[in-house]
Amino acid sequence: MSVTPELFIQTRQLCKQVALPGNTLNILTDINLTINRGDSVAIVGASGSGKSTLLGLLAGLDVPSSGEVVLAGRRIDALSDDARAELRAQHVGFVFQSFLLLPALSALENVTLPAELAGQRDATARGKQLLELVGLSERMHFFPAQLSGGEQQRVAIARAFITQPAILFADEPSANLDSATGRRVEDLLFELNRSQGTTLVLVTHNPQLAARCQRQFLMDAGRLTEALPMAEGRSHVG
Amino acid sequence: MWAKVAWRLFWRELKNGELWVIAFALMLAVLTVVSLSGITDSVRSALMQRSSNFTAADKVLRSSSPFQPGILQQAEQLGLQTAQQIQFNTMLFAGDNMQLVNVKAVSAQYPLRGELLLDTAAGKNAIVAPGNVYLEARLAQILAVRVGDELDVGAAKLKVGGIILEEPDAPLNLFGGQPRVMMHLSDVAATEVIQPGSRISYRYLFAGSEAKLKQLETDIKPLMSANDRWQQLDRQSAVGSALDRAERFLLLAGLLGIVLAAAAAAVAANRYSQRHQMAVAVIKALGVTAPLARKIYFSHLALVTGFASLSGLLLGLLANFAVQGILGQWLEGYQAVFSAKSAWLGIATALICSLLFSLRPVWRLTAVPAIEVLRQQKNDSRIDYWQLVSGSAAVLALMWLFSGDIWLSGMLFLACSGFGLCLLGFAAVLVRVAKPMAAGQSSALKLALANLRRRLWQNSFQLMTFSLALFLTLVLYFLRAELLEQWKQQVPENAPNQFLVNMTATEKDQIAQQLQQAGLTTGTFYPMISGRVLAVNGETLLEPEQDDGTAQRSEQASQQQSSGRTAQQSTAETSPRRQGFGRELNLSWLSELPANNQITAGHWFDGPAQVSVEQQQAERLQLKLGDKLTFAIGGQQFDATVSSFRKVDWNSLQPNFFMLLSPDLMENFPATYLTAFYLPETQQPLLTGLLKQFPTVSVISVAVILQQVTSIIDQVSLALTLILILVFAAAVLVLVAQVQATVEQREQELAILRTLGARGRFLRQAVLYEFAALGLLAGVFATILAEVLLAIVQMRMFQLPFNLHQSLWGIGPAAGVLLLTLLGALLLRGILQPTPASLIRRALHN
Repeated sequence: MSVTPELFIQTRQLCKQVALPGNTLNILTDINLTINRGDSVAIVGASGSGKSTLLGLLAGLDVPSSGEVVLAGRRIDALSDDARAELRAQHVGFVFQSFLLLPALSALENVTLPAELAGQRDATARGKQLLELVGLSERMHFFPAQLSGGEQQRVAIARAFITQPAILFADEPSANLDSATGRRVEDLLFELNRSQGTTLVLVTHNPQLAARCQRQFLMDAGRLTEALPMAEGRSHVG
Repeated sequence: MWAKVAWRLFWRELKNGELWVIAFALMLAVLTVVSLSGITDSVRSALMQRSSNFTAADKVLRSSSPFQPGILQQAEQLGLQTAQQIQFNTMLFAGDNMQLVNVKAVSAQYPLRGELLLDTAAGKNAIVAPGNVYLEARLAQILAVRVGDELDVGAAKLKVGGIILEEPDAPLNLFGGQPRVMMHLSDVAATEVIQPGSRISYRYLFAGSEAKLKQLETDIKPLMSANDRWQQLDRQSAVGSALDRAERFLLLAGLLGIVLAAAAAAVAANRYSQRHQMAVAVIKALGVTAPLARKIYFSHLALVTGFASLSGLLLGLLANFAVQGILGQWLEGYQAVFSAKSAWLGIATALICSLLFSLRPVWRLTAVPAIEVLRQQKNDSRIDYWQLVSGSAAVLALMWLFSGDIWLSGMLFLACSGFGLCLLGFAAVLVRVAKPMAAGQSSALKLALANLRRRLWQNSFQLMTFSLALFLTLVLYFLRAELLEQWKQQVPENAPNQFLVNMTATEKDQIAQQLQQAGLTTGTFYPMISGRVLAVNGETLLEPEQDDGTAQRSEQASQQQSSGRTAQQSTAETSPRRQGFGRELNLSWLSELPANNQITAGHWFDGPAQVSVEQQQAERLQLKLGDKLTFAIGGQQFDATVSSFRKVDWNSLQPNFFMLLSPDLMENFPATYLTAFYLPETQQPLLTGLLKQFPTVSVISVAVILQQVTSIIDQVSLALTLILILVFAAAVLVLVAQVQATVEQREQELAILRTLGARGRFLRQAVLYEFAALGLLAGVFATILAEVLLAIVQMRMFQLPFNLHQSLWGIGPAAGVLLLTLLGALLLRGILQPTPASLIRRALHN
C-alpha cells in the first residue's frame, strides 16, 4: 500500500473481532479511512459502538484482527508491541477521559515523563513552559490527588504535547468534567493543536465538541461513515 | 534517562508507602533467618562450651588401648591443645584401712576446660603434682588420712597431696560409686596396676576450634581402633533437653516466621502489581517498550530487595547482640555469633523471596498491554498458577535452606498446603450458607455478610492467609507455653537440691524427724544396696570389655540428670550375647511404685521375688516379662522374676533405679538409705549440724547446678518469647498486606454506597462486622488446625504427651475477631472517615 506524503493515517478493511464463548463479536467491520497531516477529526458514536477500539488501533495500542493500518508511513499492524511503542514515542500523544496521570508523580513530573523516557534533555524547561501555557504554573509541584478534574486534564494535555507529537489522540477528553470546565479544556486542546500543527483524532459522543473538528465520522455498530460532506480529495471512508 | 525516571518513581512509591510492605516483609524474612540462625548457633556453642567444662575438654576420645602417639601428634599438628587421662579401679591402702577407688591419672595439661581446685598444704591450687595423690573428701574420711600421709597405690607409695574440691569431669555419683582419687600420669607406671588384661580407660582430651576438631575426627579415623569412642553430649540431661527443645522450637518458629514473611511479601507484591497496572499501561501508551518497563519495575524490586537484605542483616546483627545482653549474663560462654553463614542465609532468603514471590507479579505487571488505557479493567485478581507453583517452591526451598531438615520442612509445607486447600473448600461451602444466614439480620450486618460472601468467593486466598497467620501464631504461642510448663515441672521451684546418702535405718528416722521439725519436706527414703546382676534365665551375662562401657553409661545418665554431662555412645546393640553391667548396681526395693515412674508392661509387685526393670535396660538385656534374673549381693545369690518394665523420668531430679526389687527379697540385707530434699539457703546451718551429728552420712548438694539449670531455662524462655514476638509481627504484616490489598476496591464501593445515601456510621459498622466475621472464621479454622498440628508436633518433635488445649478454643477465635477488627478499623480509617466528595475523588484516582 502506498501513502502520499500528506497522508498521516490510512486504514484499509480494518476489522476487529473478539472471540466469545460460542460466537465471534465483530467490533469493527471494514474500516477504510485516511487522515491527512494537520487534520482535526472527530469520531462520534454511542457507547459501545467501537470508537475507542478504532482509536486504539489507529494509535497502535492494539492490533486489528484483519486489515491494515499505516501510521506516519509505517504499517503498524505488522509491527511488534515494542516497535509500535517506539513509533508512539516518536509521533503520538494521548489525552484520556480519566486523565490517567501517575498518582506518585507531581504535575510537572507527569508532564515531563514522556520526554524523559524518550531521552530528551530539556524536558523540565519545556514541561514548565507547557504548564504555564495550560495555566498551571502555580501548581506544577502538586500531585494529581491535590488537583481538580479540570486541572488534571490540563496537566494531561500538557503531557500530551511535550514530545511535540505529530498526532494527538483524545478519548472523550471532557466527558469527566462539568460543562464549563470541559469547554475550557477543549479550547486549550484546539488552541495547542493549532499552534503546534498537530493532527488531532478525537473520540467523543458530544456533537458540539465534534463540530469543532474539520471532519466528523460517525461510528455505528462497528461501521464508520463520514458525517459531513467530504472535502474533495481529503479523505475516503468505506 | 530511564534510570532517573525509575529512581524518581521508586522514591515516590517509597514515600507513598507502596513499597514498604514488600520491603518490610522481605526484611522480616531476612531478620528472622539471620537472628534465629545466629541465636541458635550461639546457644549451641555456649552449650558446647558448658559441656566442655564438664568434660574438661572440647572433645574426648575414649579408648581401651594405650595412647597412640600418632593421634596426639596429629592433634598437635592441627594446633589443638591436648591432655591425657587414664582411669582405672584399684585398692588403696592406708595402713590397715583399704578402699576400692576409681583413680584418674592426668597429664600436666589437664584440665583443658573447666576448673580443677585442690586443697593442698600450699593452699588452693590446680596442680596435680607427681608423687602425690588427691582424694575426694569422703575418701579421706573413710581412710582416716590427712594431707601429707602416705598411701599405697598398687606397688607405688604416694603422698596425700590434697583434697579434691572441684573437678570438672567428676562423675556426679550421687549414690555412692567408688570414691575418686587423682594422681599424675607419670606415676602410673610405678603403681604396676596396668597389667595385660587390666581394665583401663585411656582418654585423649582435645580443645580448639570446632573446624579443627572436625578435621581431627576425620584425620585420625584410620588410627582409631574398634573400641575407641568419641564422647557425645548427653541430650538426656535437663539442660541438654531443655536447650534441645528450645533449639527445635527456634527452628520451627523460624520456619513459620519465614512462611509468614514470605506470604506477606507475596501478597504485597501482588497488590503492588495490581495497583500499578494502569501506570504501566499509561507509560506504554506514551511509548515505553516492554523491556524498558521491565527495567523500571525490576530496578524497583532490586532496590527493595537490596534494602531489605541490608536492613535485615543489620537488624539481625543488632538482635543477636541484644540477645547476648540478655542471655550472655546467664548462659556462660554465650557469645553472639554473626557468621558468614547467617549473612549468606539472610541474603539467600531475600533473593529467594524476591525472585520467587515478587518476580512473577512484577513480570505480569510489565506485561500489561498499552490498550488497557482504553479498556481500564482494573485489578486482575485471577489466580496466577505460575506464582502459586513458584511461591510454593520458594517456601519449601526457604524452609529447607534454613532448617537443613527436609523431613520437618516437608511436613510443615504439606501441613500448610493441606491447610490452604481445606480453607478454599471451606470458603466454597461458606458462600452457599452465608446468604440464608444474612436473612433477618440488621441491615449493616446484612451488608457485612453480603460483602463477606462476595469477597470470600472472589478472594478466598485472603481468608486463607488470615487463617494461616493466626494458625501459625497460635501454634507457636501454645508450644512455647507447653515447653515452659514442661520445664517448670522439670525443675519446680522447690526441687530437691540436697541429697543425703549412706544413712542407716536408725539415722534415717532421726534425720527425718529433725528435718520435719525444721519445716522441711523430704522425699521418699529409698533403701539402697549394691549388687550385681549375674544371669538371665540361668545364662551368665557377658562382662563388658571396658569398665566404663555401655552399662555404666546408662546408669551415669541416670545419676547425672541435672548436670548436662556427657555419655558414651551405645555399643551393646550389636552384641550377640547379653552383656552385663560389669559392675555393681544400686538396688532398691519399694512396696509402692515411685511417682515419677510409669509401668509400660506387666504389673507392679503382686507376689514374692519379683523385680521391676527400667525399660531401656530391659531392652538392652533383651528381657521379657517372666524372665528370671539372678542377683548377687555380697556372697549371697537369689533369683527374681521380671514382673514389670518401667519408664523413668530421668529429668525429674529424683533418685532413680534400674532395678527395683520386691521388699521380701531384701529383708535380710543391711541397707543404707537415700533421700532428697529442698533446703532453702537460709537454713544452711541445719545441714552443718546434721553432718556433725551423723558423721557417716554424706551430703551431696546440687543447689548450684539447679540454680544454673533454672537460670538457663528462664533465659531461653525469654529468647523464645522474643522469637514469638517476631513471628507475631510477621503475622500482623501478612494481615496488613491483605487488608491493604482490598483498600481500593472498598474505597470505590464505599464511594458508591455513600453517594447513594448510606450514613458513615452504617458503613463503618458494616466494615467492622465484616472484619469481625472474617476474624471469627479465620480464628475458628486456625484453632482447629492448630490443635491438630500441635498434637503432631508435640508428640513427634518434642516427645511431649498430647493434651487438648482448652484455652486455645477461646483464645483462637477471640484473637481472630479482635485482631482483624482492630486492623480493619486502623487500616481503613482513612476511607471510612472522609466526606462522600473526597471519597469519590479518591476512588477516581485509583
